[in-house]
Amino acid sequence: MNFVKRTKRAGDGAATLLMVVPATVVFVVMLVVPVGLAFYLSLTDWDGYSAQPKIIGGSNYTHLFSDPVMRHAAFVTLLVAVAGTAGMNLLGLGFALLVNGTSRINRFLRVVLFYPHVLSALVVGFLWSAILGTTGAVNSLLTAHGGSVLPFLSDPTWALITMIAVLVWAGFGVNVVLYLAGLQAVPRSLVEAARIDGATRWQVFRHVTLPALGPVVTVNIVLSLVTLLKTYDLVVSLTAGGPAGQTQTVAYLILWNSFHDNRLGFGSAQSVVLMIVTGILALVVTRMRRRGEMAVYS
Amino acid sequence: MSELTVTESRAEEGTAVSEAAAPERRSVRRRSGLPRAVFLGLVAIFMLTPLYVLVVNAFKPQEEILANPFGLPVGALTTRYLSHALHNPQFNIVRGYAVTILFVVAVNVLSVALAGPVAYVIARSSRRRYRLLLLTFLAGTFIPGQVLVIPVVYVLKTLGLMGTIRGFVLFETALTLPFSVFLYAGYIGTIPPTLDQAAAVDGAGRLRTFWKIIFPLMRPVVATMVILNTFSVWNDFVNPQIILGPGSGLYTVTTGVYAAVSQYSTDYSVVFPTLLLAIAPLLVFFVVMQRHIISGLTAGATKG
Repeated sequence: MNFVKRTKRAGDGAATLLMVVPATVVFVVMLVVPVGLAFYLSLTDWDGYSAQPKIIGGSNYTHLFSDPVMRHAAFVTLLVAVAGTAGMNLLGLGFALLVNGTSRINRFLRVVLFYPHVLSALVVGFLWSAILGTTGAVNSLLTAHGGSVLPFLSDPTWALITMIAVLVWAGFGVNVVLYLAGLQAVPRSLVEAARIDGATRWQVFRHVTLPALGPVVTVNIVLSLVTLLKTYDLVVSLTAGGPAGQTQTVAYLILWNSFHDNRLGFGSAQSVVLMIVTGILALVVTRMRRRGEMAVYS
Repeated sequence: MSELTVTESRAEEGTAVSEAAAPERRSVRRRSGLPRAVFLGLVAIFMLTPLYVLVVNAFKPQEEILANPFGLPVGALTTRYLSHALHNPQFNIVRGYAVTILFVVAVNVLSVALAGPVAYVIARSSRRRYRLLLLTFLAGTFIPGQVLVIPVVYVLKTLGLMGTIRGFVLFETALTLPFSVFLYAGYIGTIPPTLDQAAAVDGAGRLRTFWKIIFPLMRPVVATMVILNTFSVWNDFVNPQIILGPGSGLYTVTTGVYAAVSQYSTDYSVVFPTLLLAIAPLLVFFVVMQRHIISGLTAGATKG
């Protein structure tokens, strides 16, 4: 009996190993090791081919911080992230309040606001460039009616604004859904009590709904920021970084340097910096929001 | 516009009973007057216009698109350009569908086969090492994909898997593991362990207990992950582009669209039909299962 029990347990141990090891190995080899490697490769001159990249110390990093192209890309990326986050969250919360409820029209609107998120950013970019390009749909319409061509994608400033607008168009549906979920958790009794006490709609929103949404707002802001900081696909398809490189983001430069110019060591340094900046920003926002939430409640 | 008003009034009829029951609904209703309906209608039109332009122009010749991009010349519509796009020598979209579906199925099957069992062990054990393992997987959800492309190329080259389907599927699967393990372990935690004990009494081993007893109960959470993985593999551009490489001749729908469209970006009789073919399957899938897809993709978005 004892023997039977022991072999059974040993068999179970083997089964447990069989259940744990494969996933862990794939996870470690494909995700954990690469994160470490990114740091190592950022100190090398790896060109993507040599098996033994030469270690060149921190020169990728010094080069990176003095590179004007990189600085401009950092500026573009931050602008896109901040403006996009503001747009997505204002629209996200606003429309969540507007389409809150289970009527058929609300459900239809939620689908309509969300659907661009289903499409790949690449397709979204190609589609909007066909609509807003110099010979695109909008400009064809304008010139057909005697107007002049609007430089949505051919003027640097316009192109940046267009890119941010398209990012918001494609992404704020997710924020709507997240804010809607948050709104369901706002205690009805609080809202009703405020209404009975004679609070206006705006006062209820400002002093009851918004504070109760606190954590949801934080999640949404961090989520939008993190997503927008790595904007890549849309740059490729909407502007290809142009005009004259003015809409290149950091992620665009990382992949360009790495796989067009074969400077994967340099690209690694850029991606390490991007990862650290993203982490710091997410942390700072969470901290700031927490302090803000405390202030509201105290 | 008139169609919208019809839907609106029908929706109001539908809620009339509950409105009578709940008095606070009335204030909601007062707000949902004409201005709100008009505004939301305009927003819906703005959101849907790009899709309309895409669909309509996929059936028109270049001159017609340039002359009247928003028009719907019912008589002049043709499927000629759609069939051209289907037989584009630059990018065989039928093959693109096949390759993408192969990847989607492979990643989903492998992801469930790997993440399910390990999540089960983690959820059913109070041992420290498994709690640490869960934390490690959880930390993995914070790894930004962009950082990984370059070092993964190094790993795949070392393993001799660069430019292969196996290497690509393995990496895409690895990307799905952290969040899957996290979701599955949480879900299994809600399934009573008495079920496992009953199976053990009947002589089933751990593997059998998981696959025969627990796994069938995980359908909702597996469905969420399958939706999430399907969209992320289908829409992924960077990873297939870099790992499979343009040289391999292996295009997914998304990398194929890039190959076909970027060169002809002003020949709209190529652009629109190709884009339409690329998104049609996903859009149909979305319309049929929208509620599950919205909640699934939103769950995925919050993973950080």
